[in-house]
Amino acid sequence: MFDNSDGGVGIELRELTKRYPGQSAPAVDAISLDVAAGELVVFVGPSGCGKTTTMKMINRLIEPTSGEVRIGGEDVLRMRPDDLRRHVGYVIQQIGLFPHLTIAQNIGVVPKLLGWSKTRITDRIDELLGLVGLDAAQFRSRYPRQLSGGQQQRVGVARALAADPPVMLMDEPFGATDPITREHLQNEFLRLQRELRKTIIFVTHDFEEAIRLGDRIVVLREGSHIAQYDRPARILGAPADDYVAGFIGTASTLKRLALITVEDVFPADGGPPPAAGLPEVDTAATLREALDAMVANGTEEVAAVSGDIRHRLTYHDVCQAIQTNGREVEPSGG
Amino acid sequence: MVADTLTGTDGIAAAGVGGAGTARRGRTRFLLRHLGTPAAIAAVLGVLYLWVHGLRLDSIERRTLNYTYMHDRVIEHLKLTVVATVIVIVIAIPLGVIISRPRARWVSPVVLALSNLGQAIPSLGLLVLLTIKFGIGFKIAMFGLVVYAVLPVLRNTMVGIQQVDPTLVEAARGMGMTRMQVLFSVELRLAVPVILAGLRTALVLTVGVATLATFVNAGGLGDMIVNGIKLSRHPVLITGSVLTCCIAFLVDWLGNLAEDVLRPRGLS
Ligand SMILES: Nc1ncnc2c1ncn2[C@@H]1O[C@H](COP(=O)(O)OP(=O)(O)O)[C@@H](O)[C@H]1O
Ligand SMILES: [Mg+2]
Repeated sequence: MFDNSDGGVGIELRELTKRYPGQSAPAVDAISLDVAAGELVVFVGPSGCGKTTTMKMINRLIEPTSGEVRIGGEDVLRMRPDDLRRHVGYVIQQIGLFPHLTIAQNIGVVPKLLGWSKTRITDRIDELLGLVGLDAAQFRSRYPRQLSGGQQQRVGVARALAADPPVMLMDEPFGATDPITREHLQNEFLRLQRELRKTIIFVTHDFEEAIRLGDRIVVLREGSHIAQYDRPARILGAPADDYVAGFIGTASTLKRLALITVEDVFPADGGPPPAAGLPEVDTAATLREALDAMVANGTEEVAAVSGDIRHRLTYHDVCQAIQTNGREVEPSGG
Repeated sequence: MVADTLTGTDGIAAAGVGGAGTARRGRTRFLLRHLGTPAAIAAVLGVLYLWVHGLRLDSIERRTLNYTYMHDRVIEHLKLTVVATVIVIVIAIPLGVIISRPRARWVSPVVLALSNLGQAIPSLGLLVLLTIKFGIGFKIAMFGLVVYAVLPVLRNTMVGIQQVDPTLVEAARGMGMTRMQVLFSVELRLAVPVILAGLRTALVLTVGVATLATFVNAGGLGDMIVNGIKLSRHPVLITGSVLTCCIAFLVDWLGNLAEDVLRPRGLS
C-alpha cells in the first residue's frame, strides 16, 4: 500500500481540523506537521488538548472536518479506511487484546485480514513474540487474562507490528502500567525502534516519557496548536515560551542534566578559553557527563572539546543552564 | 533477542497459570456439575413409574397413563417448545443485533421496559385473547409461545452486545476489521454467554407456557394436566405435571451445558 522501499514513509498533516458537532471551538484547529520517515515523534500536551483526536484522524477512526493527511505522499482520505488501517499499526492505552482469542490469535488478526498463509502467520507470531521479549512456546496459546499488564502491553505492540506496517500510531501505550514496568517497556521499545525504524506518532501527557522516547517532540496546547516542534535537547535547551518551559519544569533536574548536551548551553561566542590541565569532555557529551568529570577530578570546571576548539565550562554554567531551562512555571502559567 | 529482559514481576503472573493438572481437575468439576441434574431427573421418573405401576388404575386413567398416549403428548410438548425456540432465535437474535447498533440505542430502554412488562402479562390471558381473535390450533399456540419467549432473548442479545468493552471494538476497527467482522468475530462472540443465558430462560419459560397449548387444542402435556383436573384423576394430573417439570429441568440442564461448552475459552 505505502511505498517504503527506501526504508520508511513520512507523514504530512496539512491544516488538519476536527470540529465535533455542537462544539464552538474545534478540538483540533488546523494543525500542520511533517514527520520524517523512520522518526519517532511524540505528541505531548495536557489532557484534552486534542492529541488523541489528531492521531485518530491519521488512521481515520475519526473523520477530519477539513485538511489533509498524507502517508508516504499518498492522500489518506482517498483510501478505503479498512485498507488504510491494516497498514498502520495502532496501539492504545487500554491495549484492547481480545479476551476470547489466544495471544497467537490476537497477534495474527491483521495478517489474517490481509490473507497471509497459515505458516507465514505462525512464523511471524513466533518472531514477534521473541522481538517483544516473550517466550513463544510459553505464551502463544495463553489467553490475555493469564498475562500481567506489562506482558499484555508487549503483546499489544507485537500485534500492531504484525503485518510490518511502515507507520505506527501509539496512544499513551504505557500509560496504564506501574512506573517500573513502564520504564522497562520504554527501554525495550526504544531498542526495538532503533532496529525497526518505523515512522511513529506516539501520544503521551508525560513529558519525561516524551523526552526519553522522542526523536522529536511536538508540544501541543489547547486545540492541538503546536507550541514547539523540535528535538528533545532543543526543547530543553531553548523552550519556545513559558508554556513549554512550564512543561519542562515538570521533569526532574537530574533527568534534564542527562538530556542537555554541552553544545546546547554554550554561548554562541564560545566563552573564555579554559585553563591548561583541566579534565576534558566532548561538546556532544551531556551536562551530566560534564558534572561527573568535575566531581571525579575535584574541579569546578572542565574543558569542552570539539576538534581543535576548546571552551571553558564551569559548574556555575551548568547550574545556570538548568535554572534557565527549568524555570519552575506552572503548566497553566503560559 | 530481547528475551533476557523478561522481568521478575512478569514471571510471577506466568507462574500462576496452570498446566495439565488444572485441565484435568476442570474436567472432573465439569462432569460433577453436569451429572447431578440428569441423575435427579432419572430418579424422579423412576419413582413416578414405580408409583403409577403400583396403583390400581380405572379405565379412564388407563386411557392416558399408557406408553403411547404419554409418548405422543411428550413429543407434542417438545415440538411446541423446540419450534417456538427456533422461531425465537431467528427473530430475536438478529433483531437484538440491530437494536444494539449505536444508531438504535434509543430503542434499548423501550425493549428493557417491554421485557419487564412481558413477564407480567398472564400467559393464559394472552392465549385466550389470541383464541378469541384468531381461533385455535398449533399456529396460534406457537404465536403465543413466541411472543412470550422472544423478549428475554431480544433483551439479552442487546445487553450482551452493549456490554462488550468499547475499547475492544475500537481496537478491532483500528486494525482494519470491517463492521461485519467486528460484529461476528468480536461483539457476538463476547456476547455468547449473555445470549445463551437469555435463551435458557426462554426455553424453560416455553416448556411451562406450552402446557396452556391444550386450551387452543394444540396438545402437549397440558392435555394430561387439564384432563386430570377435570376428571379428578390425581395420578393423571400428577404424572402430567411431573413430566412437564422433568422436561423443564432437562432443558435447563441442556442450556447450562451449552453455556459451558460454547462460552469462549479465555473468558473468566
Ligand atoms: N467524540 C467526541 N465528541 C465530542 N467531543 C470530543 C470527542 N472526543 C473528544 N472530544 C473533545 O475534544 C477535545 C480533545 O480531546 P482528545 O483528542 O481526546 O484530547 P487528548 O487526547 O489530548 O486528551 C476535548 O475537549 C474532548 O472533550
Ligand atoms: Mg487522549
